[in-house]
Amino acid sequence: MAGNFWQSSHHQQWILDKQDLVRDRQHDLNILTEEEYQKIFNFFASIIQVLGEQLKLRQQVIATATVYFKRFYARNSLKCIDPLLLSPTCVFLASKVEEFGVISNSRLITTCQTVIKNKFSYAYGQQEFPYRTNHILECEFYLLENLDCCLIVYQPYRPLLLFVQDIGPDEQLLTYAWRIVNDSLRTDVSLLFPPYQIAIGAMHIACVMLGKENLKPWLAELNVDMDKIQEIVRSIINLYEMWKSYDEKKEIQGLLGKMPKPKPAPQR
Amino acid sequence: MQKYEKLEKIGEGTYGTVFKAKNKETHEIVALKRVRLDDDDEGVPSSALREICLLKELKHKNIVRLYDVLHSEKKLTLVFEHCDQDLKKYFDSLNGEIDLDVVKSFMYQLLRGLAFCHSHNVLHRDLKPQNLLINKNGELKLADFGLARAFGIPVKCYSAEVVTLWYRPPDVLFGAKLYTTSIDMWSAGCIFAELANSGRPLFPGSDVDDQLKRIFKLLGTPNEDTWPGVTQLPDYKPLPVYQPSLGLAQVVPRLPARGRDLLARLLTCNPALRMPADDAMAHAYFHDLNPSVKNDRC
Repeated sequence: MAGNFWQSSHHQQWILDKQDLVRDRQHDLNILTEEEYQKIFNFFASIIQVLGEQLKLRQQVIATATVYFKRFYARNSLKCIDPLLLSPTCVFLASKVEEFGVISNSRLITTCQTVIKNKFSYAYGQQEFPYRTNHILECEFYLLENLDCCLIVYQPYRPLLLFVQDIGPDEQLLTYAWRIVNDSLRTDVSLLFPPYQIAIGAMHIACVMLGKENLKPWLAELNVDMDKIQEIVRSIINLYEMWKSYDEKKEIQGLLGKMPKPKPAPQR
Repeated sequence: MQKYEKLEKIGEGTYGTVFKAKNKETHEIVALKRVRLDDDDEGVPSSALREICLLKELKHKNIVRLYDVLHSEKKLTLVFEHCDQDLKKYFDSLNGEIDLDVVKSFMYQLLRGLAFCHSHNVLHRDLKPQNLLINKNGELKLADFGLARAFGIPVKCYSAEVVTLWYRPPDVLFGAKLYTTSIDMWSAGCIFAELANSGRPLFPGSDVDDQLKRIFKLLGTPNEDTWPGVTQLPDYKPLPVYQPSLGLAQVVPRLPARGRDLLARLLTCNPALRMPADDAMAHAYFHDLNPSVKNDRC
């Protein structure tokens, strides 16, 4: 489904306004600072990424799952659903929508258990992954409702391929920009900007990193709102700045402790 | 669910029962499709998800409208625009021959709905008269996108009833795995002939072999000259060599020459040569189409 973005539910319902986003997060931002909030999302984006890789999903599916996750919390507080439950649920739903084929629920749960134990013990210690199939299925319902059934997500990957092709094939530029698009999933840009602008923002950063000059004349010909591109670039650069001084392994337990939580906790 | 009063059962869909219902506030008549969630492992069935997400994106006059999705305890209900009947029932209710202007109008609307889907890279993959809804104003709408998925066309639907082969193109019958928009265009051709014959199916095959033979008896058995690559298809098997037999004039006697020309371009065995939906809409057959049908934009 690579139809018309401009007529899509993504464009019509899910390009959010920055002010609205800030307002809807107010509850969580009374408890967490903006930076702490971002660090928590960064962590769960990693969980979704690792889960997806373990399940051998395509990056497109992983990206869609991450956007579902962000869309859900754009309208809900972290205390509505434990993000540790929502993350695999997003992966489950995205794999069905993106026609990857259905992941069996039992395989999903097993993978969660292994991943949490082997890769994220720095966050959860000896705790096991606490959820079961029935939790995922119930959560899927809730997720579907909160997404207002808008399940088709446009990603920057396809426009990125087209743009790089248009400038003149450049493997190095594509590789860099592709990774930057992956990183952009850890910022709010997928909630605020259309995917083609994110692709251009990523190319912009990649060109600066690689010291390439050929983007400017190409951009000049393109009728694109440069302010938006600059905003996207800033969001991603801010993420890189944060990473420089951030040790997730040390801080995340504290952050998860501070995070607003649903009550009552699920039955272990 | 309190919002709707169930009136009667309309049928069994791919993944659940369909009811006619009335919105208690607005008195609007809708179709409710209840999604069964009995497979504990799959959660919301992917066929239902597929239909939900596609119809959420595809809003067009010739595509059935999904108004709402209702969530309740372990149950999902899709609320659709209600149409009075489907094309199958329309055929059954015909007294005598169908009006040829109606054939033209329905065919044009079918092509317009398909052109819209195809421009959004959505294939329907299961077109048949039961999936085309007709309302009182003579509007035709594509429905049941539950099978519109990429990984193979299922051979069974929920109620264990075998999905009909009658509208499947020869490439799919030979096991082609790569589907393109051409799959829907073949089905559209079969439906065109069925329309022109007031509801008599064109190729009512009983199994894959019988289906292929019926097609080739009319159109001639394809070979590497007429259809390069045909012998390489996964389930290709040599079939009796039929020569293109009786002309289309005998098959669809009521259809004028331009209509027969369009039909021949849709019923082309080689999928690469089959006419796409937007070209078909521009075909000379539609030059004298009632302007009220043609201009009726969404």
